[in-house]
Order: sequence, then C-alpha cells, then structure tokens
Amino acid sequence: MTPGAHASSTERLQIEAEADVVVVRRRARELAIAQGFDAFAVAAITTAASELSRNVWCHGGGGHALLETVSDAGRVGLRLRFIDEGPGIADLELALRGGCSTGRSLGLGLSGSRRLVDAFHIETSPGEGTTIEVLKWARFPH
Amino acid sequence: MLPDTTPVTPDAHTLALRLRFFRIDPGVLARLAALRPFAERTMSDIIDRFYEHLLSQPETRDYLDDPALVERLKRKQAAYFLGMFRGEIDLAYVQGRMKVGAVHAKLAVATQWYVGACTHYLQLIHEHLHRERASDEERRASFEAIERIMHFDVSLAIDAYIARHHESRLRHQEAIRELSTPVIRVHDRVLLLPLVGTIDSARAQRVMESVLVRIGEEHARVLLLDIAGVTVVDTQVADYLLKTTSAVRLLGAKTILTGISPQVARTVVELGVDLTSLYTRNTLSDGLDLALSLLDKQIRTIDQERV
Ligand SMILES: Nc1ncnc2c1ncn2[C@@H]1O[C@H](COP(=O)(O)OP(=O)(O)OP(=O)(O)O)[C@@H](O)[C@H]1O
Ligand SMILES: [Mg+2]
Repeated sequence: MTPGAHASSTERLQIEAEADVVVVRRRARELAIAQGFDAFAVAAITTAASELSRNVWCHGGGGHALLETVSDAGRVGLRLRFIDEGPGIADLELALRGGCSTGRSLGLGLSGSRRLVDAFHIETSPGEGTTIEVLKWARFPH
Repeated sequence: MLPDTTPVTPDAHTLALRLRFFRIDPGVLARLAALRPFAERTMSDIIDRFYEHLLSQPETRDYLDDPALVERLKRKQAAYFLGMFRGEIDLAYVQGRMKVGAVHAKLAVATQWYVGACTHYLQLIHEHLHRERASDEERRASFEAIERIMHFDVSLAIDAYIARHHESRLRHQEAIRELSTPVIRVHDRVLLLPLVGTIDSARAQRVMESVLVRIGEEHARVLLLDIAGVTVVDTQVADYLLKTTSAVRLLGAKTILTGISPQVARTVVELGVDLTSLYTRNTLSDGLDLALSLLDKQIRTIDQERV
C-alpha cells in the first residue's frame, strides 16, 4: 500500500484467458487517460499492465487484477495489483534482473515493468502465488 | 469507450409488471411496513450473524479481509435491510437494488455466493420471526411478504449481473476485433504488413506464417512492418517483431520497422528490448524510400529525370 494515498473504488478483472490480458490493459489505459496521464505515462502503465497480467496468465495459472485510481497531495495516479495463486517465483532476484525467462521469450517483462512505473512491490512465495502492486502517477497533474 | 456499467433500469410500466409477477401487492407492502419495528429490533443480530456466516466461508471471506470494510458494509447492510420495510417500491428503490448487484458483479462475487447469501439471510429472518408473539397464520404471511421482496431484490441484482456480463462480453469482442491483419503488396518485391491493435500469441503465429509464405510466393526482398496501429509494444510484441525479422532474413529478405511513436520508442527502451538490429524508419513513407533504395531503385521525380 502506498502511504497517504487515497484510493477510489476498486475494479476487479479476472485473468483467465489471453483475451483477458487485453481487457486488463485496455481498462488500465482508459483509467490512465481519464486521470489525465500524458501520452508517455499512458504507454508506460498500459505496457506494465500488459506484461504483468500476461505473467499472471502464463506463469501464474490465471488470477485477477485490481485497478484503482489514487490521489495524494493533489496528484493523481493509478494503482494496479496483479494477484495469482500460481507457483510463485522461485528465484526473484534472477527474475527481476531481466533477460531470464523460464519460457521461450525475452524475459524482460518483470524487470521492464519495474522501470516503467513509479512504485513496484512484489510478494511471492513458492507454491502460494504472486502479488505484484505497481503505482504510476500522472506525469502532469492538473 | 464503452457505455457506463450501470444497467438499464426498468421504467414504471415494467416495474409494475414485475411487482405483479412477484405478487407484491399493496397488501404485501403494507405488511412489510408494519414489520418495520420488528426489523429495527432484530436487525443488528441478523446482520452480525450474517457476516459471521460470510466470514466463516472461504469463498466469501476473501472479499472481507479488512475489519474496517466489514464495519462499513454492516452499516450499508442495515440501510439495505430497513429498505425492505419501507412499504414502498419505486424506481429509486429499484435503482438502489440494481446498484448493489452491480457492485457485487464488479467485485466478481459469483452469483452463486450472492444468491446463497440471500438464502442464508432469509433463514436468519425466519428464525427471528419464529420467536415473535403472533399466530402461525400471521407469521406465515409475514415471512411470505419478506420472502417476496427479497426474491424481487435478488432478481434485480441478477439483472445487474447480466448487464455487467454483457458489457464485459462487448469488451472482449472489441479486443478480438483488434486482432486481424492483412499482408499488402505495395511495390514489386515489397510487402507491407500493417499491424493493428493487439497481437496475441495465436494470431502472431498465424500472421508470421502467412507473411513468410507470401514472401516466398512473391520473391519479396523487403517486408515493411508498420506498427503505427499497435497500441502496446510489450515484450511479447517485441519478441514477435524480432522473431519475424530473423525468419524473414532466412528467406533472403529484409525487414523495415516503421511507425514507431515516441511513446513506443521510450517504452521499448525502458523495457530493455533491443530493436537496434532492425532497420527502422519513423514513417511508412520513409520506410518505403528505404525499401526502394535497398532494392536499388529510387523514386525520381519527373523533373529530376529530365535533368
Ligand atoms: N506471476 C508469476 N508467477 C510465477 N512466475 C512468474 C510470474 N511472473 C513472472 N514469473 C517468472 O519470472 C520470469 C521472468 O518474468 P518476465 O515477465 O520478466 O519474463 P517472461 O514472462 O518469461 O518473458 P517476457 O519477456 O515475454 O515477459 C518468468 O519467466 C517466470 O519464470
Ligand atoms: Mg512476462
């Protein structure tokens, strides 16, 4: 949780199929635009949403995303949480270093997402699942 | 943008029909109004025990992990509960009930838990009614009235669920519509693949295969891959671009990536994806120029040719 931030009502989206990944990131994008994010910040949070929800789908065996808008001291932002009860990430340090994929892809989703957002928090334990929370502030608050 | 999640509420006419169907007549409403003192007396016990039940079930407990939230919900529940004993059902009431359904749908509380919880609620009310001093006849009539209005409420909640479901279907359809992609021949030996919207893994596979086949058939030398219409270039898309490029290279052709927006450029760099091994051009027309020069052809203006 981000200290001091006031959150709006939370929206919950299931991630069970690949099409759900698209739904989650579209919604994240809509919310970011509605919050007045500039085009770079919109692209960043949308991309992070895409990466993290795809990880839920393909590594975490499905789960859900929680989306909410937050405000704190006049600035507004978007907080996204990605929750699954999959295998967890065995070697978190390695996974976050980037360039390492247990699949056949680039292995840059996790490390890249972390760079795209303003706050990144991950909780994972083997056999119990993974929860990732990210926060992105609108770059030009109105 | 899709329409708001608020479901279509019935008008006065459909409300009257629905009330008739649920056999909620003025007599039933009057009975409910008369039960208000009973409701006020028993409310806090019913609600406490209702939440005890919800907290004892793993399926519903998950939604109630925060004690402050539970307190807030109990207060809302009290208002909801007393709402049944107002002796009046108008459009505002209907809207309120549908909103309750919409909130549960939004939180993805499955209908089975919603309906199950209502049944439990009804049971708790039943127990209390049993302890009231009244004739059997009276008690039965009271319970029936409560049962009818609760079922009426549940029907409204289910309508809200359906509306929400319908909306999420629309979202999916929109997402799926994003997925189609044609290969276009723009010049002798030059093919254009304009990628639009979303590239999901199954479609990426198919598109790549059809591009490779077309390159073979047309003896194409250059593939223009235009990503101006792609909303998100994440690692999966980047991976796809890189893999397509190397497969195209194996066929003796070159790939030029065009239509990279400043936002996409920035995001791709932050992600740590290296696309520098690709030919890239800002716009499709610059890409075409490069394609032609790679083919050793130039578009010369007539003026230039005359010189
Ligand atoms: N939710 C998750 N549950 C379990 N393991 C995960 C989860 N998210 C990531 N991982 C692990 O961390 C590794 C790194 O994730 P990352 O997203 O960076 O790469 P990737 O998904 O393999 O490839 P891509 O570059 O396409 O995202 C994954 O290969 C996977 O082993
Ligand atoms: Mg990934």
